Amino acid sequence: MRVLGEYYRRDLGIRSYPLLVYALATLSALVLQAWLPHFLHGHTWFDLPLVVTIYFALARRDPIQGTIMGAGMGIFEDALTNHAVGVSGIAKSVAGFLSGSVGGRIDVDNFIVRMLITFLLSLLCGAIYVLIYRVLLGMDQEWRGLQELMKALGSSAITIVLFPLLDWTQHRD
Amino acid sequence: MDSFFARYRNLLVLLAVVLAQIIGLAVQVRRTDSGRNTLGPQDPTGVRLIRLWADAVVTPPEQIFHATGMGLSGLWQNYIDLRHVREQNQELQKTIDRLRLEQASLLEDARQGERLQALLDFQQKYIYKTVIAQAIGSSGNDSSRVFYLDKGSADGLDRDMAVITPDGIVGKVREVFPHSAQVLAINDQTSGAGVILETTRTRGILRGDAAGHPQIIGILADQRIQPGEKVLTAGGDLVFPRGLPVGEVVRVQPDPDRDSFIDVIVKPAAHLDRLEEVLVITSTEPHFSAEQQQDLTTSEVLKGAEAATFKEQRNASQIMAERLPGLNDPNAPVPTPASTPTSGKTLPGQNQNASPAPAPKLLRPLHPDRFTPGAGPQPPQDKGSSTPAPPGGNP
Repeated sequence: MRVLGEYYRRDLGIRSYPLLVYALATLSALVLQAWLPHFLHGHTWFDLPLVVTIYFALARRDPIQGTIMGAGMGIFEDALTNHAVGVSGIAKSVAGFLSGSVGGRIDVDNFIVRMLITFLLSLLCGAIYVLIYRVLLGMDQEWRGLQELMKALGSSAITIVLFPLLDWTQHRD
Repeated sequence: MDSFFARYRNLLVLLAVVLAQIIGLAVQVRRTDSGRNTLGPQDPTGVRLIRLWADAVVTPPEQIFHATGMGLSGLWQNYIDLRHVREQNQELQKTIDRLRLEQASLLEDARQGERLQALLDFQQKYIYKTVIAQAIGSSGNDSSRVFYLDKGSADGLDRDMAVITPDGIVGKVREVFPHSAQVLAINDQTSGAGVILETTRTRGILRGDAAGHPQIIGILADQRIQPGEKVLTAGGDLVFPRGLPVGEVVRVQPDPDRDSFIDVIVKPAAHLDRLEEVLVITSTEPHFSAEQQQDLTTSEVLKGAEAATFKEQRNASQIMAERLPGLNDPNAPVPTPASTPTSGKTLPGQNQNASPAPAPKLLRPLHPDRFTPGAGPQPPQDKGSSTPAPPGGNP
């Protein structure tokens, strides 16, 4: 009965988007993430692919979609660096999974909740990234708390503009 | 069983995705001889393919953005902000004329330096073949100090080529794609460039720390190393030519891991966080443009004319020397081989078969007397012969 209740609530809130929105949003996030830091003196104070992953996972309330989207985004990001391919992929897979799982249990229309989720998952992604490097790969990777905090704050701030914009593109009955 | 998969479907998908990526990571990491894990110098084929796809997706939009930005900037600079252009043009023309004269002089110096280097069997040259490229994007990750260029293998770029600016070195080409290239900056943690301190001549390896500050690691503590000292490339890493500016020493701090070693924090000469145009050294072979070659030919011609003038002056001085009276006395006796201290011996390098100098022949006198050389009193031939007694002698 409890499970039915959850599915019922999910069915009420699941959103859908045109395929073009998916393609444009993911591609724009990846390109801008690589292009904008070039004009910010090399500083990366945001994680656009993570923000987009969280948004679609929350909106669709589907952990599987969040996992796969996070994995794709992370692998793509890793491919643009000189680091091992898959580290960001694992971190963003977990973030997408958690977003999709949380999306079925809370009110995702509240922008404060969205910001808080983005902030926490951004910090979690940074921690997983360092953890994989140190524990799984046995390589040196310094935890830069202040930088991660700034990135989490920047990503949260972006949600104020980006999430309503993406909300506006959803299918309407 | 079906209910198990249905119930834990989400978690199983997550585990499968994570596991697949962990296997992918295991393929990329290698253990070095020193027991440390590191990424291989070259990516496996599958990983390189992923990087190629990612580059193919990201680079075209970046190039469009970059071209659009340059176009707007050019529109403003070329058509709107054109005040005082004529005056500036005249000043620039004068500067170009002056620089051309200086260039011809410097090229001759460079040529001379090149010859000297060839004598010392150095491979580095002062003049390199370079390709100008634009920095169009970054990795998008703070811990990865790489950026992308709008030139690739189609433009002659290759792995491990040095990337520089007029201010100093920037990094080296890490990965090459057909129309773009990935550059590893010198402030990345995985980079490494051989450098030398200009004054103390201390050598070390330059690499970045976690915050992206370049530092020279693994050098013994030296009190002489002070802030402000220039850092140059050492030329031993087979990437950067020797003598290029790297930066200057900001501070010296003890190595946290090893006693008696220090880390030298360096401020890079190139603006690594504001890169626009860079030069990629595609060849260290001497390369002269048509204008430079023409200047060199002119220099050679001028040098030939100068040498001819010098030769004429030397011939004239020799003629004058022959006409002027010498310091040798023509009446001095000719030294005979018997009178020389080295008679009977051969000096090193002297030809033993060489005939001695011919002695002058004495003409026999027509009426010799007792004063004639060789006609003095002869010794008695035998005891019985009578000899005239000297006057006043004893009987």
